[in-house]
Amino acid sequence: MDLSVIFSAQLLASVLVLASLYALVAIGLNLVYGTMRLLNVAHGELVMLGGYVAYWAFAQWAISPLLAALVAMVIAAAVGALLYIAIIRRLFRSPSLLARIESNSLLVFFGISIIIQNVTSLAFTADSRGYSYLDDVIEIGGARIAANRLATLAVAGLASLACALFFRYARSGMAMRAIIQQRDAAALVGIDVDRINVQVFALGFALAALAGALISMSQQISPFMGFPFTVSGFVIIILGGLGNLTGSIFGSLILAAVEVYGVTLISPSFRSILVYGVFIAALLLRPQGLLGRSIRAR
Amino acid sequence: MMPLRKVLLICGAVLAVICCALLPLVVGPYGVGIALNVLMWIALAESWAMFSGLSGYISLGHAVFYGVGAYVTVLLWQLVPLWVAIPLSGFGAGLLALVLGWPCLRVRGPYFVILTLGVSEFVKYIVIGSEAALGRNGRLLIGTPSLVVLFEAMLLVAIVSMVALYVVRSSRLGAGLLAIREDEVAAGAVGVNATAVKLLTFTLSALVPGVVGGLMILRSTYFEPLQAFNPTTSFTIVTIAILGGSDDVPGPLLGAVLLVLLSELLWARAPEVYMIILGVLLVAFVLFVPEGLLGRVQRLASPAKP
Repeated sequence: MDLSVIFSAQLLASVLVLASLYALVAIGLNLVYGTMRLLNVAHGELVMLGGYVAYWAFAQWAISPLLAALVAMVIAAAVGALLYIAIIRRLFRSPSLLARIESNSLLVFFGISIIIQNVTSLAFTADSRGYSYLDDVIEIGGARIAANRLATLAVAGLASLACALFFRYARSGMAMRAIIQQRDAAALVGIDVDRINVQVFALGFALAALAGALISMSQQISPFMGFPFTVSGFVIIILGGLGNLTGSIFGSLILAAVEVYGVTLISPSFRSILVYGVFIAALLLRPQGLLGRSIRAR
Repeated sequence: MMPLRKVLLICGAVLAVICCALLPLVVGPYGVGIALNVLMWIALAESWAMFSGLSGYISLGHAVFYGVGAYVTVLLWQLVPLWVAIPLSGFGAGLLALVLGWPCLRVRGPYFVILTLGVSEFVKYIVIGSEAALGRNGRLLIGTPSLVVLFEAMLLVAIVSMVALYVVRSSRLGAGLLAIREDEVAAGAVGVNATAVKLLTFTLSALVPGVVGGLMILRSTYFEPLQAFNPTTSFTIVTIAILGGSDDVPGPLLGAVLLVLLSELLWARAPEVYMIILGVLLVAFVLFVPEGLLGRVQRLASPAKP
């Protein structure tokens, strides 16, 4: 095996594109877990919905997916806020449900996930769909990369950066971080936790939909495409630490690198084994995350 | 009063079992097929409740035990007689549970839930990988036992699964599990060896899905890892337990009957609608009837208890 493969610009570019998409998915997933201790197994379904919005906008009205992504984000944000207000809020209201919030949220979101998948399948059939947009190949520094993947990297990278700035400087962003650190204390110092929860859902879902719209430019979409993204998202946030937003970006890079190099060096059929292998190893060896400092008994 | 009630209960149960066993004489193959499905889900959900219902550790690992049971039966097909192969499927699954349970049971709550899912998917892809390496694209079993034989065998497994849940629940082991569910640290403080209790029950609860997997692969006569290790099996079991309640023997029974009837009504005609209703039921039950149908009935029957 030629070692230069590992340092080829081609593979590095693939890692970055995949990592930037994963970061979008994982930040939203982690935000919802960090602030509310909810295991959103329906997160991948929002990726799928984002993909469908972009697909229909392009197929029906020839609207650029990059523009449709904005529409997808608005729709997803509305879905997230409504979901929180209509269903998730109830989980916090009953003490017996709250006592097992993580398991209960997992079941509720699993239910929501099958509802979204099958409603989509009823509405748009279970067929895979794809379209071609910006698919000419560009050569940069020895890497040949399709323009749509380059656009994906740029948009997803910018969005991740915007998120980082939002968490650092915006009032709501700081409030989200405060809730992640100390939920009760955050409420005590005057943060309207319920309102921030709505925003968290809206933001997390919007990011997932953005990822979906971007993915639809280079991959086929189907009603059942979401689950692998949910799994990858969980692997990443466990790698980076549950509730640790910077860790999510770090975890995205690791998982993307493992996937891209694993598939190239071993075989594509090893992708799932590698992803789940990393998942299990991370959970067993460092459940507090690679960047985590203290082990919390949970 | 109590002994009389107990005698009546046992008589009723025996009568129900005899009626079930004679069912193939009355209904045709279609009916027996449905009854086989009901019994399969009863057996799976009761065995799931033995560990997850009592301990509160929600496991999404039952699909892997089911799949391994099926795989063992397929690998031993025509090498050993079935009355050897089927129990070995159960023990194979139990052994896997012992191996997987040791690391998995060190984590709790959401970590345990997603870890069991991760581990079962991992095992699934390992089996897919090794089957591909062997050049096997699915395996066909020819000359499997008749539907009626499988039905009677499944009836036996379902009964064993129910009795096992009853026995474990009323034993010291069950008391230990319930204590762990309420507060694991406190349980440890009063002398429950949590690690041993959890690992033992986790292993025991994997025996039944192993046997069920072995029997069901004889029914479908075709082994394909994606199908045999389908994680939907685990999710369906959890849904059954949520619908019926997973605290006592009648809960999973009730949930399984309900779900299979629903699936028979809708699955063939509108699979998507069936799945949507499943999702709605799951959400609605967690939010509004978290104690399950059985718990709700019991609460209505004795309003004095809070």
